[in-house]
Amino acid sequence: MIKVSKIFFACLVAVLLVWQIPSLYNTFVAESVSTPFTLYSSVAGRFATLEHDEDKKMQYRDASGREYTEEQFDSILPTFYYRQLITDGRFPDTICGRAVTPRDIQLSNFNMRISPLDLNKPRLGIQQMLESMSGRVDLELPDDVFRITESGLEFVKMSANTIDEAKSASFTRMMQGKGFRFPAYRLSGNPTDRKEYDEGYVMLDAERKLFHVKQTVGRPYVRAIALPEGMIPEHLFITEFPSRKWLCFISDTQGAFWVVERDSYAVRLTGVPRFNPEMESMLIIGNMFDWTVRINRAEEESYYALSAQDYSLVDSLVYSTPSQTLPGLRFTSTKDKFVKPRFVK
Amino acid sequence: MIKAIYYKEWIKTRWYCLLALLLSSGFAGYAMMRVARVCSLKGADHLWVVMIQRDAIFVDMLQFVPLFLGLAFAVVQFAPEMHHKSFKLTLHLPIRASKALASMLVFGGAVLLGIFALSLLIMWAYLHTVLAPELWRHIILSTLPWYLAGVAAYLLTSWIALEPTWKRRVLNGVVAVLLLRIYFLAPAPEAYNGFLPLLALVTLMYSLLSMLSLSNFRDGRQD
Repeated sequence: MIKVSKIFFACLVAVLLVWQIPSLYNTFVAESVSTPFTLYSSVAGRFATLEHDEDKKMQYRDASGREYTEEQFDSILPTFYYRQLITDGRFPDTICGRAVTPRDIQLSNFNMRISPLDLNKPRLGIQQMLESMSGRVDLELPDDVFRITESGLEFVKMSANTIDEAKSASFTRMMQGKGFRFPAYRLSGNPTDRKEYDEGYVMLDAERKLFHVKQTVGRPYVRAIALPEGMIPEHLFITEFPSRKWLCFISDTQGAFWVVERDSYAVRLTGVPRFNPEMESMLIIGNMFDWTVRINRAEEESYYALSAQDYSLVDSLVYSTPSQTLPGLRFTSTKDKFVKPRFVK
Repeated sequence: MIKAIYYKEWIKTRWYCLLALLLSSGFAGYAMMRVARVCSLKGADHLWVVMIQRDAIFVDMLQFVPLFLGLAFAVVQFAPEMHHKSFKLTLHLPIRASKALASMLVFGGAVLLGIFALSLLIMWAYLHTVLAPELWRHIILSTLPWYLAGVAAYLLTSWIALEPTWKRRVLNGVVAVLLLRIYFLAPAPEAYNGFLPLLALVTLMYSLLSMLSLSNFRDGRQD
């Protein structure tokens, strides 16, 4: 018994050392690598960067090394700095040969963040479905929630904690009628009243077929979305941007990144070469001319410029961000919200 | 003989058991009263929405209660015997010393688990009437690492209390603090779900550490 106890104690001390020593080193010694703020400029035709130099002065450059003043930098990124340009009275009539107004810029600009933390986390299994055609300007949160079971969609009245049989049957029947096979593999929605409009949910059924499901005037709206041949979707990201041009983004099992257009339900491939949302985070800063896509990977930060018209790859840039942290045992991670022992290199 | 040891432990700790039961159940009951108050003021809908949209679990006040109850239980059970040097009498009973100590730890662990189970039952009894199964399970599962930490605190404090030398007590204390930290790393509710079975097994194995203290005690080690 004593021998077993001694071995157990030695194991515990070893685990604590492998956990705590790298953790202390990484907290107090390891320095994080910073990269410049980078955006693609359709005006300059290349990436533009903004960073502090050694004297803490701002440096404005583009990827060719050309330096800019702050005012010039505003002008080569007119969709990003449009409010500054309006304030200075320098907002142009046309950008890249296209007539624009500040309202056009405001409507077409969007930011989208996709983090592994949003995917790799415990899930409640119930969510809210808003009324997407209430006739009111402001959205309202519903008085029920829904869960997806093996056999259908089940709405539960929150105040009484009872199942709304009629509404559940109505949605289940409609979804099954459109070819939805329960249970759902994935779903993505943004059930908040702090947005301009509601598109309900995009869902993958048990066979990974894509559906758009929302509630309109209390009734189900279900639309099957045709996927390109051979594409197997893995993760869905509903957009609900002010421009109302897109329904959602999709990452597939091969690492490709797709866009679903809202009106036509067309599924278009983007020029992002590879993206694994379970391990990598993505930031998209989009405007009416281009999208700057930043992907944070293990040892690099990659930037891709996509055309806003056909989503093709226009330019790319990679910053090396070598890890300076010590390998060791960790219980938490920046990639998920679970506590479990894992060895991180 | 084991029954006699259980009886001895009961006599030693019964008032603390009652106090721990009242505190644990009282905190759980108070947390439920606060939930019920929110329900009566703003309706059950509000609870559901806050849970779904803000990942709230409403019982955060219970987080360190099991830890302190477990720690205090070990102090009440072992510190007086060590202080009055009467622990050696237990070792002279006609039973293997390790078995006698194991019986003492089983008693303490079982009492603590019973107290914690009652608190969980109090929470479940109310929550399941106003929340969907997904929601009350979410709350209960999120509290399990805290209750496990209570058992861990009991076993680790027992290990420290039974240790005869202060130098080792300090070292054991540092190890114990680091081990207890593992139970409070949750970045989100239900973060421990997959890790709980392994964590529970390792927690139970902390009882082996007290055998090291027992060995040092029997060897007559002193500062």
